[in-house]
Amino acid sequence: MTTMAIQGKGLVKRYGRRHALNEFDIAIPEHAVTAILGPNGSGKSTFMRMLTALVRPERGSLTVLGERPSWQLNRKIAYLPDRARWYESQTVAEAVEWGTNLLPGFDPNRAWQILESLGLEADMEVGGMSKGQEARLMLAVCLARDVPLLVLDEPFSGIDMISRERIISALIDNFSERRQTVLISTHEIAETESLFDYAVFIRDGHAALSGYVEDLRAERGSVQDIYRQLYM
Amino acid sequence: MNEVIVGGMRFALDLSQPLYEQVLDQVRSSIAKGEIALGEKIPSVREMAQALKINPNTVMRAYQELERDGLTETRRGQGTFITTDAEKVRLIRYRLAEEAVDEFLAKLGSLGFTPSEVAAILRSKGGEA
Repeated sequence: MTTMAIQGKGLVKRYGRRHALNEFDIAIPEHAVTAILGPNGSGKSTFMRMLTALVRPERGSLTVLGERPSWQLNRKIAYLPDRARWYESQTVAEAVEWGTNLLPGFDPNRAWQILESLGLEADMEVGGMSKGQEARLMLAVCLARDVPLLVLDEPFSGIDMISRERIISALIDNFSERRQTVLISTHEIAETESLFDYAVFIRDGHAALSGYVEDLRAERGSVQDIYRQLYM
Repeated sequence: MNEVIVGGMRFALDLSQPLYEQVLDQVRSSIAKGEIALGEKIPSVREMAQALKINPNTVMRAYQELERDGLTETRRGQGTFITTDAEKVRLIRYRLAEEAVDEFLAKLGSLGFTPSEVAAILRSKGGEA
């Protein structure tokens, strides 16, 4: 039987009167690459923030790697928040040093390898970077960490095609080398759906559909088709 | 559907069908067609995943199935190679031919053609039925 890396039951979170998550049930398999899909405002980011204890559920239970989310557990999670920015005054080399000193599981050799494959150089300054370059830097910092769980909230949004392709290629290398549990939220479904083992479709704060992508393809077609069926 | 050539083999993946089966079928037919020779090395899981832009787990699953069928063999530290056994390749060619014929007969059957009518059509096309 498959072990679940993440399990949530009856999760509720409101912002004012609006439900971000509403009786949300979820189970995400270990060592798989899972897509978290849904329109803006469906609750994807709220769920991802919950995994790292940045948001607490009002009701319901959540276990991540067998524990309740907490700052101690975050040692085991590499998390790329949506709309994330890096320190403007740092260079790439300083970012690697920062990661080496402060991030659990951070492997500087691996960081340099990934940075090189993503086309970033040591002396580049974050303040002078394009949005795509900055996104690549932050992804490299996440991928350089040897931790059991990788959570990427919209790593492709607003990023040029070349950066997206480089990021996808770096992710495929990462999946080949490590048995990590990976969660990725994205709107770039057509380009990324071939990367996923498992998918969760969130609608109005709860899971409208979830399953192994190859089974979903056999039963209902491409992830993109299913997305259209669910949200149109 | 874009066609991609990896290690001499042709791939065109349709995202509305399971990818694992497509990778498996397309490697099999590359072997049957001789696009890749007996004993030749096939791309590593990682190289194949990169070229096709798909999850390495999907490639791995297809490769495991090829190995179970005896079409490939993995040599420790060297990679995965197409079998050197010509008999296995001959069998796979016939299996693919049978599958194509079954599909063809099922389609004509659903259009109401009898076996003798199908045979007549094949003869008129110059085939030997």
